[in-house]
Amino acid sequence: MTTTAADQITLEIIQNSLQAISDEMFAAFRKTAMSAIIYEVLDMGTAITDGEGNLASSGAGIPAFVGVLDKAVKRVIELNRDDIRPGDIFATNDPFYGGVTHLNDVVLAMPVFAEGRLVAWTANIAHWNDVGGMVPGSISNEAKEIYQEGLRLPGVKLVAGGEPIKSVMEIIKVNSRLPDFLQGDMWAGIAAARVGERRILELVAKYGLETFVTALDLFMEYGEEVARHALAGLPKGTFTLEEEQDSGAVYKVTVEITDDEFVVDLRDNPDQDKGPNNASRDGSLVAAQMVFMNITDAHSSANEGHFRPLRLLTRPGSVFDPNPGAAFAVYYEVEIRLYDLIWRCLAPHLGDRLPAGSFGSICGTFIGGPHPDTGRHFTIVEPQVGGWGGSRERDGNSAMFSGFHGDTFNCPAEVAETRYGLYVDRLALNDAPGGEGEHRGGKGIVLEYRVRSNGCFFTCAYTRNKHTPWALEGGREGSPNYAEVIRADGSVKEYAVVTALDVNEGDVIRIHTGHGGGYGDPKRRAHNLVDDDLRNGFTTEEQARSVYGYG
Amino acid sequence: MSAEIRAATDVGGTFTDLVYFSVDPETGAQRIVTAKTDTTPPDFERGVLNVIAKSGAPVDEIAFLAHGTTVVINALTERKGVKTGLITTEGFRDSLEIARGNRPDYFNLHYVKPAPFVPRHLRREVPGRIAHHGGERAPLDLRGLPKILDDFRAEGVEAVAICLLHSYANPNHERAVLDKVTELWPEAAAVASHQITREWREYERTSTAVLSAYVQPVAERYLGRLADGVRGGGFGGQLYIMQSNCGVDSVDRTKEIPITMVESGPASGFWGAAELGRLLGDPNVLALDIGGTTAKCSLIEGGHVKIISDYWIERSRRSAGYPIQVPVVDLVEIGNGGGSIAWVDDFGKLHVGPQSAGAQPGPAAYGRGGTEPTTTDANLALGRINRDYFAGGEIDADMDAVDRALGELADKLGVDRADAARGIVRIANNNMINALKLISLNRGYDPRDFTLVAFGGGGGMHAVALAAELGIRKVVIPRAADVFSAWGMLMSDLRRDYFVTRLFGLNAGNAERLDGLIDEVTETAAAQFRREGIERDRIRFLRYGNLRYENQEHGVEVPLRDGATVDEITEAFHDAYEREYTYRLEAPVEFVGVHLVAIAEVGKLTPVPLAPTGRTLDDAVKGRRAVDYATEGVHDADVYDGDLLEPGMAFEGPAVVETKGSTTVVHPENAVTVDDYGNLVIEL
Repeated sequence: MTTTAADQITLEIIQNSLQAISDEMFAAFRKTAMSAIIYEVLDMGTAITDGEGNLASSGAGIPAFVGVLDKAVKRVIELNRDDIRPGDIFATNDPFYGGVTHLNDVVLAMPVFAEGRLVAWTANIAHWNDVGGMVPGSISNEAKEIYQEGLRLPGVKLVAGGEPIKSVMEIIKVNSRLPDFLQGDMWAGIAAARVGERRILELVAKYGLETFVTALDLFMEYGEEVARHALAGLPKGTFTLEEEQDSGAVYKVTVEITDDEFVVDLRDNPDQDKGPNNASRDGSLVAAQMVFMNITDAHSSANEGHFRPLRLLTRPGSVFDPNPGAAFAVYYEVEIRLYDLIWRCLAPHLGDRLPAGSFGSICGTFIGGPHPDTGRHFTIVEPQVGGWGGSRERDGNSAMFSGFHGDTFNCPAEVAETRYGLYVDRLALNDAPGGEGEHRGGKGIVLEYRVRSNGCFFTCAYTRNKHTPWALEGGREGSPNYAEVIRADGSVKEYAVVTALDVNEGDVIRIHTGHGGGYGDPKRRAHNLVDDDLRNGFTTEEQARSVYGYG
Repeated sequence: MSAEIRAATDVGGTFTDLVYFSVDPETGAQRIVTAKTDTTPPDFERGVLNVIAKSGAPVDEIAFLAHGTTVVINALTERKGVKTGLITTEGFRDSLEIARGNRPDYFNLHYVKPAPFVPRHLRREVPGRIAHHGGERAPLDLRGLPKILDDFRAEGVEAVAICLLHSYANPNHERAVLDKVTELWPEAAAVASHQITREWREYERTSTAVLSAYVQPVAERYLGRLADGVRGGGFGGQLYIMQSNCGVDSVDRTKEIPITMVESGPASGFWGAAELGRLLGDPNVLALDIGGTTAKCSLIEGGHVKIISDYWIERSRRSAGYPIQVPVVDLVEIGNGGGSIAWVDDFGKLHVGPQSAGAQPGPAAYGRGGTEPTTTDANLALGRINRDYFAGGEIDADMDAVDRALGELADKLGVDRADAARGIVRIANNNMINALKLISLNRGYDPRDFTLVAFGGGGGMHAVALAAELGIRKVVIPRAADVFSAWGMLMSDLRRDYFVTRLFGLNAGNAERLDGLIDEVTETAAAQFRREGIERDRIRFLRYGNLRYENQEHGVEVPLRDGATVDEITEAFHDAYEREYTYRLEAPVEFVGVHLVAIAEVGKLTPVPLAPTGRTLDDAVKGRRAVDYATEGVHDADVYDGDLLEPGMAFEGPAVVETKGSTTVVHPENAVTVDDYGNLVIEL
């Protein structure tokens, strides 16, 4: 009995240490990266897998990347089976070679050998600003095939036995419009992977190889146990939803929850998009995994075991499982739409586990051009914050990043004005109507960039523009996401999707993000809360009367 | 001529501590007295007078009194500040509520964003813009200000915070608003962000100004009553207030910006550890403070305590928290102290903390109704804490309650009580080891190059086990470990830290710019000291640059030595960067800002060796008892009365050293010596 208890504690110490190592890799990467999309937006992730690529722990940051790295490692193993050696680092970014998302997201994976045995992998993923392709930033709404989206890295070695492979590195660099950033970000990723390797080896040295391997196995069993425990508490049944998208496409999901399985069926969906609006099968799985995490155990660290009860059905050649050649640049809006679809499908049936819909878009915003102070090229690549949906307990949060993001930080106006050479004229909560309810949706924002130099571009691909954030239990829908471009001459035009629009000195790009959906009949909203909203300018006298039945 | 007395008092949530040194002017011999009384909210000054009285120190002979307090951090965490209004640049009143949009607890769709300290209707705007280079883009328009202040008055606002865009680069607009507010409404507390911080990032600076304004009236009242109270009690010496940057500052200056007291308790402890390290010839120290609810640690390299301005309250894996851009000692804090509760999750896994039993009901052993086992209860059950001398003999340990609490936990785990208790100690140790790794290994430091200085009520209990795990060879448990924060205050200088953001490429062409910036900040500091009667020749300056590779965001702080060339600074940066991150780049280096430290000595104390009394080691032996070392089995340990140990004594583990406020667990084969100052030095 005594030894069992001691062993349990030792195992737990190893498991906690794995979490600490993932976090350490994350911190190291973040502090050394050169691109704001990595160090501030935290469009990055770190993980440790076992020797076969099963997820053991993942670092802080962004939930949409938690389930990505294990899939990448598994594919790297498949592709390089007989040529994996200590000190190697592999790179992949291509959904057909383990890349999962789009070509901008580069995965670096490093095998960890102890006593001659492959016992683990450390891996990280980060959004590189520019990997070539048809437009600056590599992401175009116009791309028709993956070849237009940049350099493809098919799970190949970047470092062999500890020695960087110069030829590969030079090829990667020369394909980027921003080679200096790329080089800095690449080394940040290499350093992070190596830190993880070193720490794992220390753990193995301390506790022994067998104990370490056992700890990983048992940790995954624990993850499975947590998931099954939560699954047992969910209502059982088959739930279906179809929803028209802003593009006119209709996405459909069927979720079947049984005593021991959580099946997400996406087979009945449109053929793959001719443009870049596709999600790889692995990417679709990540969206399903995220919802599964949301409703099973919001607090524990995700690992392979946790996802064992989850099964995904897709149809090859569909938007959620495209055939080779498909373009993926805007995968993130497809995946977040899918995530939102599954969430919306289940919300009415799961008690109050899920709040109403959020602004629900990455609201990826790309602005670039010559910096007026330095003449150097600047590029903004940033998601936006918006409103979250109300729930039975409370109003939704205002101005948060989407469910795909996590510990992601927006860019301060003071930093943006210095770094990008734009003026930020306003950053405010959005006062548009929408999202009213007994518990109202959180507020979106209004953000104004005033362009200071000629020859700049603006690209965006926002969803939840025509079809606004959904409500629950009689609440009102939230408000739309969109951008206005106000020309120096005063003319105004609205956009939700636009690629490389010319913008020049004096033009203002005004971004509006939506409020979350409301929860419950607005007429039931407590009067003191309506009072607060009036005082704070979150509602008008007129709305208070007509929508909330107040006064 | 009577002895000169220097005293420090530290007001915590539960206890008010005191340490005083009386120095014989003839012989230089020192006498050290410590005392502890209950904290007396809301009349904290009464507790301070009580503890002085209890210590027997003659109030009128105290020449120097340093004071640390948790009043600011408590006012913040308990939301007991005043109603605050905020004035911002037009277009940015919502910055405080938008914050940074991050959500650390990212799988939780019911995450609750921290609520702003000022609601939207009390956040107002004024037109006018300073640009990022400090020039004026649009003139300031104060015509709306009287109406704003009328509204604030009508709403019962007591404090006004002001934060305008780019005021770190040029505070003129902010200063104009502040002057006008003070002129129109002199009764209100008012603070502008540039008075506290000259760093960029408007949300962080706004939050800093708001939190400072929010506690300002509370802190002013507190400091006023404290000063009046001790003066009324006969104190005629100099009163200094402990700051979060490991220095002390005057009462008047602290009243202006009381937010700088926010981490004064931990700061003085870490400063004490640094000073102790210097005294003992161990400049590299890992300092660990284990209290009732948390453990805190900090790394000290070459006697240098790292001060940063990236500080947040209430930040955790579950919450984004609130930033305060003030100089604070770089520390890691975890919810793991003596009172941390051990619990078993739905899957049979054991956890310790972060919930704490607090002072009420406290650990099960307090016998006040606590039913959940804590780390303290586990230490009692294992014989590591003396059940017959619990809390210095002031509490009868309720061992039945301990057994019940541990029994329930053991049943859930399917083990016996002793295993459960060992499990608690091991998990608690592991939590603290991970915290110590965060400040050492994760930043490129090898813990084996450091001495572990452990203090607080629980420091000695766990220090040796932690050191063994990290490969540390030497542990020091300071004399008066349980009131060590107060001890550290007596070692502190008048110290101010200035962080100023100013971005430019680090190259020969900008050498003059760099010199100009350093001169400017140095002059600001010197002027401030001069206003308080401290001339420049008494001030010691330390200068650091925050540098990074061009395009990076996060910088590395490197010392700027007098007369160093741009090339030397660049090389120092490459070296520091490589140590921290394992590689260096052939890329341009950027200067982000300067960190200037200005220090003036104000009666800091230098400890002298204790005079031996001739006692022998046998005089200090209290007895012998079985102690369970959790991972090293059960051993019969000699028990020593720590108060009777004196310089030169030496013994070996297994042993336990007990004082009224702390217990030190010495493992088998450890060699212990008592050094000249009465500290326990344990060699592993």
